[in-house]
Amino acid sequence: MNLAAVKSLTWMGFFTAALLIAVSLYAVEDIPAFGDENSPANKYIKLFSIDAKAGLTESLNAGAVPEEIKAGIYGMGFIKGPTCEGCQDENYPTLDEGSYEVQFIEKGTWLGGRIYTKAGWDVLIEEGEIFYNEPQQYYFISEEDGKLSVYRYNWPVRVIERTEEETFIINAVTSGLADYRGYDTMGEETVILTGAIGVILLMRRRGKL
Amino acid sequence: MTPEGREYKRDVIIETTARLMFPLILLFGLYVMIGTEGTGGGFQGGTILAAAFILYITVFGHEKGREKMPESINVFFKSFGLFLYNGAGWICILFSLGTAQWLNMPAFWPVTDFAGVAGARAWLVGSAIEVGIGLTVMAAFVSQFFDLAWKEEDEMEGDGR
Repeated sequence: MNLAAVKSLTWMGFFTAALLIAVSLYAVEDIPAFGDENSPANKYIKLFSIDAKAGLTESLNAGAVPEEIKAGIYGMGFIKGPTCEGCQDENYPTLDEGSYEVQFIEKGTWLGGRIYTKAGWDVLIEEGEIFYNEPQQYYFISEEDGKLSVYRYNWPVRVIERTEEETFIINAVTSGLADYRGYDTMGEETVILTGAIGVILLMRRRGKL
Repeated sequence: MTPEGREYKRDVIIETTARLMFPLILLFGLYVMIGTEGTGGGFQGGTILAAAFILYITVFGHEKGREKMPESINVFFKSFGLFLYNGAGWICILFSLGTAQWLNMPAFWPVTDFAGVAGARAWLVGSAIEVGIGLTVMAAFVSQFFDLAWKEEDEMEGDGR
């Protein structure tokens, strides 16, 4: 094969094809696996951490959330009712007696579409919904270095609270469209381009129908 | 056929209104399209831009519409939007040496600290993406409308091609 006889446009075509193959491979590698703890949909927010005094872990093991942790969660505004005078009512499920359950999760467990990379206690709350009234994961408490860290699961809350910190985009909708779900939008745009090309090919077939 | 060589009757009110509204609709479409920090976004903005061109073609006919939006520019916009979107992602991936997830925060962009504002990068990338989506949507809509208008013209002439 005579390399000098290959046209430059052909080389450009080869280059573009190689680039497309590379970006496809990168996208396949880049999309997080199901259960990846750090993927946007599964990442939880750290709320606060308190010193692990004697009695706290025993209380958690016995299935009751200690008063210190409850006070911390309520203090961050996760309550029913207004957080300040004249504010809008919040509607977060509260940790009343009997409305929640605590279970210990071993490290490396696969549960709820997520791999637990650290051991801890899941706090499950029944919200009293009509059609899907099952205990749902709300808080996650893990013991690290003599401290009890409290995390909160919730994808919308994470988007609202962490968007600016993670993406520097003020608009949460744009960050969802362009950042967290960037590949989705890329596919949507490709669908539009492909549809337009299809319409052109159909409508401009003059004298062939 | 009218004396000016048109196949339709001229209507001063419609033509004047369309001529006045055309740039305003374009401006509003741009405002919606570059909506990185406001409401709106690429899809909606592109549709509004396309609506401006469709109004123009409806009023002045497809030949004058072709002068506003030539086929070459239409085809260029159609693919350029997608390339703009993918190019922004590519640049983020390249400059972050593959650590960025599409255009996440760890991505390095040359203007990150250009003005001491880290948000400049996010604003620029977000705007590029929105404009890319908008251009593709606009060109796709306009080209489809041109095709349909042409088809009707052919059938009216009855040349049977």
